[in-house]
Amino acid sequence: MSDRRVFVTGLGLVSPHGEDPAKVFDQLCRGESAIRTVRSGTPELGADVLLACVDFEPGDRIGKADRHFMARAAQMAVVATRNALADAGLLVDGAGPEQAAVSMGCGLGGAEILQQTYRTYFEQRSRRTRPRTVPLIMANGPASQVCMQLGIRGPAHTYSVACASSSVAIGEAFRSIRDGYCDVVIGGGAEAMLNDATVAAWQAVGVIAHEHADGTAGSCRPFDLERTGLVLGEGAATLILESEERAAARGALPLAEVVGFGASSDAYKLTEPSVEGQERAIRNALQDAGLAADQVGYINAHATGTPAGDPVEIEAVKRAFGTAARDVAISSTKSMHGHLVGASGALECAITALALRERRIPPTANLTVPDPQCDLDCVAGVGRDAPDLEAALSNSFAFGGSNATLALRRA
Amino acid sequence: MSTYAFLAETLSGTYEVDPAAIRPEATLADLGLDSLTVVELLFDVEDEFGITIPEGISFQTLAEGAALMDELVRNKAT
Repeated sequence: MSDRRVFVTGLGLVSPHGEDPAKVFDQLCRGESAIRTVRSGTPELGADVLLACVDFEPGDRIGKADRHFMARAAQMAVVATRNALADAGLLVDGAGPEQAAVSMGCGLGGAEILQQTYRTYFEQRSRRTRPRTVPLIMANGPASQVCMQLGIRGPAHTYSVACASSSVAIGEAFRSIRDGYCDVVIGGGAEAMLNDATVAAWQAVGVIAHEHADGTAGSCRPFDLERTGLVLGEGAATLILESEERAAARGALPLAEVVGFGASSDAYKLTEPSVEGQERAIRNALQDAGLAADQVGYINAHATGTPAGDPVEIEAVKRAFGTAARDVAISSTKSMHGHLVGASGALECAITALALRERRIPPTANLTVPDPQCDLDCVAGVGRDAPDLEAALSNSFAFGGSNATLALRRA
Repeated sequence: MSTYAFLAETLSGTYEVDPAAIRPEATLADLGLDSLTVVELLFDVEDEFGITIPEGISFQTLAEGAALMDELVRNKAT
């Protein structure tokens, strides 16, 4: 093991708040929600649902013929990655570094294409599904298209770990550089599963938020007594990770340093979280990073806004942090950008990197009546300056009991 | 619209093939189409003309392909 240092040198977003990382971060710090009420589905079966959609139009950034062979998640991944490469100063003649690796998280791949295919088969009673269906529904569509569109020829791996997908992707990207296998990795995630049948299935699980009396924007309320559930979002986020040597050699200005990755499995229930499993992921990340709990000033929480999930995460933080739990700021930015499932970890890792750079902590929006079970500093309402912020964590805990925590430091 | 005109329009419109390269004597290889794009294109033709192109159909040039498709359209009409 060479234990090389790993820096974030570029960010790219296609998020419910837009594509410009600085503007997205400002909106989040002001507590502005991107959650809207959307009429979804067919005239007979559709419903008004709360969603954090992306107003996404690739335009001439992806050719029409190429778009024909890309699901929405893959298109978003390509645009986010191009943005990230440009931000890192690594986009040359429309291509990224040929030797780069790709490490992407994605839950459902081309969910909308699968829905279309099933409609053809079951509704139109036809076996004539489009040939492109097969390569478009693959979970590794985003990673593959990033390679094809941007000329990337290193290993391209996809991690499909539900809500923890892209935290695992970034964690493994970090390890591959730290341990000397790669010098530059495109790490991120993409998800676009807001088609009606998928949303209906999520509603059936009983974890989706109802509209709050404060209005649509107030509907996702992590850590709040009046919380009713999560709001699904979509989008893509990409971080360019580089070894210290490579970044220094080209004079790149790092945004943040990735210093640790912790993962664990609950071995408990399919959808119920476990304090013990989450605590182990957090402890593993701290140990991997060589950080003491009292050095961590901020945690971007997984907290989705479900009554069952949020207190479990708070308890896991208390156990992993001990007395330092009282002093750490914790916020759930999902209150504003929704739950991007396979892209959540990457978006929240990007937000955590920006928090470190700006020394400013984004809030938990809509936190007006704190749940007594969530009695840590959950940064209610609007963001705050954090002039001493040096290190932060980003948590992602998945259905299936897979937990991932990333540890970052100010660069 | 004739099958050839439809092929030409779809190739340039949907699949962004250079219109200058689309000629009756052009082969699929000349146009740089991969196998997935070719089967998608055949699906487009089937949907447009309501025909079923037999599996394993083989043709070299666009003109040959259009002739086979015209034949299928004529058989469908009778």
